[in-house]
Amino acid sequence: MNQATEPPMAVRARGLVKRYGEVLAVNNLDLDIPAGQFFGLLGPNGSGKTSTIHMLATLIRPNGGTAAVADHDVTLNPVSVRGAIGLVFQDSALDRTLSVAENLRFAGLLHNLRPAVIEERAAPLLEMFGLADKRRQPVGSLSGGMRRALDIVRGLIHHPRILFLDEPTIGLDLPNRRKIWRFIERLRAETGMTVLLTTHYLEEADGCDQVAFIKKGKLVQSGSPGELTQRLGRYVVEIESPDPDALASRLAPTLGEGLKDGDVVQFRYADEDVSRLAQLQSELGTLVRALRWRRPNLNDVFLWVAEGKA
Amino acid sequence: MHWRPVYAVLEREVVRMMRQRTRLLSAMVRPLIWLFVIGAGFGAVLEQPGVNYQQFLVPGVLGMTMLFGAMLAALTMVYDKESGVMRMLIVAPFAHYWIVIAKMLSAALAAIVQALLLLILLGVLGYVGADTRFGLLVMALVMTSLACGGIGMLVAAFTRTLDNFAAIMNFVIFPVFFLSGSLYPVSRLPVALKFVALANPYTYGVDLLKHAVTGGLPSGMGADFAVATDLLVLGGFSAAALVIASWRFSRESAYEPMIHILTGKRGG
Repeated sequence: MNQATEPPMAVRARGLVKRYGEVLAVNNLDLDIPAGQFFGLLGPNGSGKTSTIHMLATLIRPNGGTAAVADHDVTLNPVSVRGAIGLVFQDSALDRTLSVAENLRFAGLLHNLRPAVIEERAAPLLEMFGLADKRRQPVGSLSGGMRRALDIVRGLIHHPRILFLDEPTIGLDLPNRRKIWRFIERLRAETGMTVLLTTHYLEEADGCDQVAFIKKGKLVQSGSPGELTQRLGRYVVEIESPDPDALASRLAPTLGEGLKDGDVVQFRYADEDVSRLAQLQSELGTLVRALRWRRPNLNDVFLWVAEGKA
Repeated sequence: MHWRPVYAVLEREVVRMMRQRTRLLSAMVRPLIWLFVIGAGFGAVLEQPGVNYQQFLVPGVLGMTMLFGAMLAALTMVYDKESGVMRMLIVAPFAHYWIVIAKMLSAALAAIVQALLLLILLGVLGYVGADTRFGLLVMALVMTSLACGGIGMLVAAFTRTLDNFAAIMNFVIFPVFFLSGSLYPVSRLPVALKFVALANPYTYGVDLLKHAVTGGLPSGMGADFAVATDLLVLGGFSAAALVIASWRFSRESAYEPMIHILTGKRGG
C-alpha cells in the first residue's frame, strides 16, 4: 500500500492488552480510525469496549501494545492526548450543585480556556443542544436527557479533535436518544470531528462510517455497516417452530448452522433468489409455525458475533 | 504551571462553601461552643491565678475551625470520586498530581476563609485584640491551613467512599485536635501523650497561633516551641503530605479501582 495516500489517523492502536488480575479485558487489539471518521466500537457487555476507550483516553495504562491518539503516544504523552480529545463517560461527570453555566466554566477553566472564550463557545453549543434558557439552573434540576446533552457539551467545550462517546444514550428514552443523535450529526457536519462511539443500541451505529465488533477483548469483525450486514448474508431467515432443535438439525445441511432464540431459529441465506425459501413451509410441514425472511441489519451481526458464529 | 485549572478548583470550592450556609454556620458555632461552654467549665476547674483559660483556648478554637474546614474541603475529593465530578478533573490536560495540588490549596483556602470569619467574630467579642501580632497571625493562618489541607489530602487519597466519614472523624480529626496542645499546654501533658502531640503536625500550627494571639499569658501557658520550629515542621509536613498524596493518587493500583467506580462496571 502506498503510504502517501493513506489518510491521517486519529487513532492507531497496535496489540493493545489490558489485564485485570486473571481477566484479559483487551486482548491484542488493533484499531485504525482515520481522522474525521464516525467510528462505532460495538460488542456485548464486558467485551472490553470501555477498557479500550479508557486506554485511548489515557485514564488507564495498557499492559501491552501501543496506541497513538491525535499522533500522541498514550503512555509517553498522556497530557497531550487529553488535550486533543473530549470524553463523555457512561455516567454523568457534572456537578449537580452547580448551575449549567458554572459546570461549563469549571470544565473550560480545567482545559485552560479564558472565561470569555468559555462564554463564547458555550453559547452556540447550549443553543444547539436546546439548553440556552437553562444556563442559570442547577444541574440537579435538569431532566436526564438534558443532563446527558450538557455532559456532551461539557466534553466539547475545548473543541477536541476527537470525541469519545461511551454509551452516550444509555438510560435515555427514545425521543431523547433521537435528539442526542441529531445533535451529534449536526456537530459532525459542522466540525468534521472524529467520533469514536460505543453503544448497545445498534440502530444508532447504522450511521457510522466504520464499525468494529469486539468480543472478549478481541476484534472479530470490522467494516462499514453495509459491508458487515452483506457479509452476514443476503437474507436472514427466521423460522418459528414447536421443536427448534429438530428444525435446526434438519436444516443444517442446506442452510448451515442456525441461531436459536426461544422458539425461533435464525439462518443466514446468501442467495438473492428466495424461491428455495418459499418452499420450506411445505417441505417442513408441522415443524414450521411461522416463516419469514428479511434483510440483515447490525443487530443480526451483533447476535451472530456474540454467539461466536459470524 | 496550570494556574487556571487550579483557580477553577479554588473557585468551585468557594462557590460551594458559600452555598452551604449550614456548613459555614456550624464552622462558626462549633468553636464558639467550645470557647464558651468547655472554656468556662474547664476554666472554673483549672482556676489558676493570672490565667484566663478562655483566653488560652482562643488559638485552639481558631485552629479547630481550620482543621475542620480543611478536612471537609479535602474530603470533597472523595465526594468528587463518588459523584463523578472527578471525571472532569482526570480528563483535563495536566498531570494528575495537579489535582492533588489544587485540592490541597482549595482546602487551605476554605480553612483560611473560615478562620478569618471567626477572627472577626472573636474580635467583636473581645477575645482577639490589639496585642495580636498580625504578621505572625497571617503566617500561622497560611501554614496551619496548608498543613490541615495536607492531613486532609492524605486521608482523601486513601479513602474510597464517604461512608467512612464517621471513622475519619473519630480516628483522624478528633485525635489530631485533642492531642495537639489546643486544650492544654503540651509541656504539661503526660510523657506518652506528649510524644504523640510532638509527632502531630497540627500541634505546631496551634503553637504558631499561640505565638500570634496569646502574647499576654504567663509562661507555661503560652507557646511551647520557637516560631522557626513551628514553620519548619508545618512546611515540611505539608510538602511531604503533598508528595505522598500525589504519589498515591497517580498510582495505578489506587487509580484503576476509581475508574471502575467511575464507570460503574469492570472492563465493560
